[in-house]
Amino acid sequence: MVKVALFVPCYMAALRPGDGTHALRVLERLGDEVTTIAGPCCGQPAFNSGYRTEAKSVGRALLRAVRGHRIVVVPSGSCTSMVQHYLPGLWAGPRGASIHRMSERFIEFGAYVAAHPKMPELPLRLPGAVAYHDSCHGRRELGLTEGAISLLEQVEGLDVRRLSYEAECCGFGGTFTLKEPEVSVAMAKAKLADVESRGVRVLVSGDLSCLAHLEVTARAIDQPLETWTLAELLDRAIT
Amino acid sequence: MSGFRARARAEIESGPPAATLSPILRKLVADSQDQLAAASPSDARARAQAVRSYSVAHLDELHQQLRESCARNGTGYHVASNAEEAVAIVSKLLGDARRIAKSKSMVAEEVGLTGALRLQSREVLETDIGEYIVDIEARGPSHITAPALHLNRARIRELLEEAGADVPDDDPVRLSRTVRDVVDQFFVDVDAGITGANAVIASSGRIVIVENEGNVSLGVTRPPLHIAITGMEKVVADEESALAILQVLAPSATAQPLTAYTHFLGGPEAGRERHLVVVDNGRSEILADDRYRDVLRCIRCGACMNACPVYTAAGGLSYGSPYMGPIGAVISPLLWRDGRHADLPSASSLCGRCTEVCPVGIPLHRMLLDLRSVESESQGSKVGHLVWRLWKLGYAGAQGRVASWLARLGLKLGAVLPSLPVVDARPLPTPNPPRDPTMLIPFDTIEPEPELEPSSPFADVSSLFRERAAAVGATVTEIAKARDGDHRVRATAAVASTGSVLLTGKEAARANLMDSRRIVVEVIEDTIVRYPQDLASFLTPEGDLLILTGASRTADIEKRIVRGIHGPEELVVEVGSS
Repeated sequence: MVKVALFVPCYMAALRPGDGTHALRVLERLGDEVTTIAGPCCGQPAFNSGYRTEAKSVGRALLRAVRGHRIVVVPSGSCTSMVQHYLPGLWAGPRGASIHRMSERFIEFGAYVAAHPKMPELPLRLPGAVAYHDSCHGRRELGLTEGAISLLEQVEGLDVRRLSYEAECCGFGGTFTLKEPEVSVAMAKAKLADVESRGVRVLVSGDLSCLAHLEVTARAIDQPLETWTLAELLDRAIT
Repeated sequence: MSGFRARARAEIESGPPAATLSPILRKLVADSQDQLAAASPSDARARAQAVRSYSVAHLDELHQQLRESCARNGTGYHVASNAEEAVAIVSKLLGDARRIAKSKSMVAEEVGLTGALRLQSREVLETDIGEYIVDIEARGPSHITAPALHLNRARIRELLEEAGADVPDDDPVRLSRTVRDVVDQFFVDVDAGITGANAVIASSGRIVIVENEGNVSLGVTRPPLHIAITGMEKVVADEESALAILQVLAPSATAQPLTAYTHFLGGPEAGRERHLVVVDNGRSEILADDRYRDVLRCIRCGACMNACPVYTAAGGLSYGSPYMGPIGAVISPLLWRDGRHADLPSASSLCGRCTEVCPVGIPLHRMLLDLRSVESESQGSKVGHLVWRLWKLGYAGAQGRVASWLARLGLKLGAVLPSLPVVDARPLPTPNPPRDPTMLIPFDTIEPEPELEPSSPFADVSSLFRERAAAVGATVTEIAKARDGDHRVRATAAVASTGSVLLTGKEAARANLMDSRRIVVEVIEDTIVRYPQDLASFLTPEGDLLILTGASRTADIEKRIVRGIHGPEELVVEVGSS
């Protein structure tokens, strides 16, 4: 039995905590012993806004919260990328190096599940069609795209459709959507048009942040859309 | 509200820029990738990056060498420390020149050259088709390589009519040729030509300029005085380095293998003058800052804005700077330190696609993050500080400590008593409510994507050359029947992957070439090389060089290709064995 921590990031705990529960259930079905740590923040909102001192304090609190855990599973590519690529840089010298080593314990949920030794035994079935949305951090900083797709393809009966412009950002960008709402919404509309052109109404992604942005925009323009995290899809597919 | 937001909002409300830009840029980005794969060796980007990194690391010493090389070949070498000095130097060099043909130059935009020269009652004509159009509109260029990209053909027709042209319809061919004729007419009597430069070569003093339309060819040939203005970072060590840049520049910028004309300009011909004005204007400060130094690698290809979803949604004019898109968001606040562009680093969702496509490996999105940092840039409002401090208290304060304490407690107890249930920091609620099962049903069938034609296998260079030369619009033949208005030259070498021919020595002279209707180039099979970088051994140590890749063309109007702008309308290549 593998012991892992499930870090449910702040925005998921606030916006759609059920997604954390889905992640927990999938991990437990894989036979892991899970400690859930829900609610802390990786510091990204402050970091991306330029407030690094604040980001560092908050990041430190997260690292303290997961102390002692060898594996920290994160159902968010964006937070995983923040912890691995940016948080260590906030500390100078050897402290930065030790934070960097610590950051390597964090792993994105889909990547963890895909590599799990018990994964092939998991009975997965969900008839229907979904489109896959790639988050920018997951795609470019963690290289998660192909892994996530092949994970979805293991679900029997599921028709997984790739978007025509998968590499384009959905326009969320954290505080970007607050600072530049008009541009952010224009970008979301372009993404939603792509989803619609694929003939599906369910969008799946490793990142709830993109999904929440797209779902709100879809509602505003009356486009029928459900957004599912990878965790929710796998949990619902387990037979 | 930030300046960017206000401008972007106005642009989106008055007709979303994405409606025009999105189809064009999506195609351009895909074509660029194909072109890089087809026309360049696999290490082309790494080579270009290495060349540019070398330049940035050796800027002083390369300029010392460049100054000596210019003295040797007779090109005037001038350094301007800021925009005012740049304008003053150019004005002095122009003397009493009145009619000035200007081609595209980002540095000229940066220092406000055209406007300043017009205030001196000089007649300055923007001779690039796109620049000519945005000059009438007077809102500035919206893209660094395609200045009129934001305008559709109907609006361009209106603008040309405002400028006094009689245009019966909005066909891009007719619109392009209308501007061409105005420019040709201007060149009949012109006192000076001002151009930019894509690179300047330290070892030989040559100025490298790429262009498609032929207006640069005219600008450096017809008037007795040529002034090239460029940023000080554009210096490279030698011809081989310049070729490494050219190999990625046109593919990244316009999805072309090479531009129609690639000029390597040596010293001026007898009785003529050539000057190089090297502009600092804040670049030394960037060079001194190791967080941003690498941005000086930039070759101004525009690949970052082509790929940028924020640029596509907001349009180039929303940036309010001569430099737009991701590169503009990085260098604008660094070049203008008065805070006028301080909002631009926030005009990004940080998706990182700019960094991914940059052919010289500039970590643009990381620089945007550094530029946002309030600690280092002493930015940020009092409200901002307060908000983020409160936020910090929420996440790093009591709640975080309790969470970590419980987690440790849970772990420690778990270690001692394995059967004890795990204590979670916060109990999780129920999963998401059930979903609507009908949503999983697709609402149409998907047409399978057409498979892309596999690019032809890299067979022998000779047949690859024939294929690629034809692809850029050249006529490939064994022997061309002579015609009136032919200009016949012999190529020193040819490039298979790009379909280009290299002219050196007197064969590279532009005067007769630009007056001809058709150029016939003899290519000897033995001299065909695979990639532009392989031309290095064929280059003469001094004098002009000219690389032709198809006949002149433009894509300044909605990215539609219109062939035959300035110079010969047709390029014929005769491939023979001797």
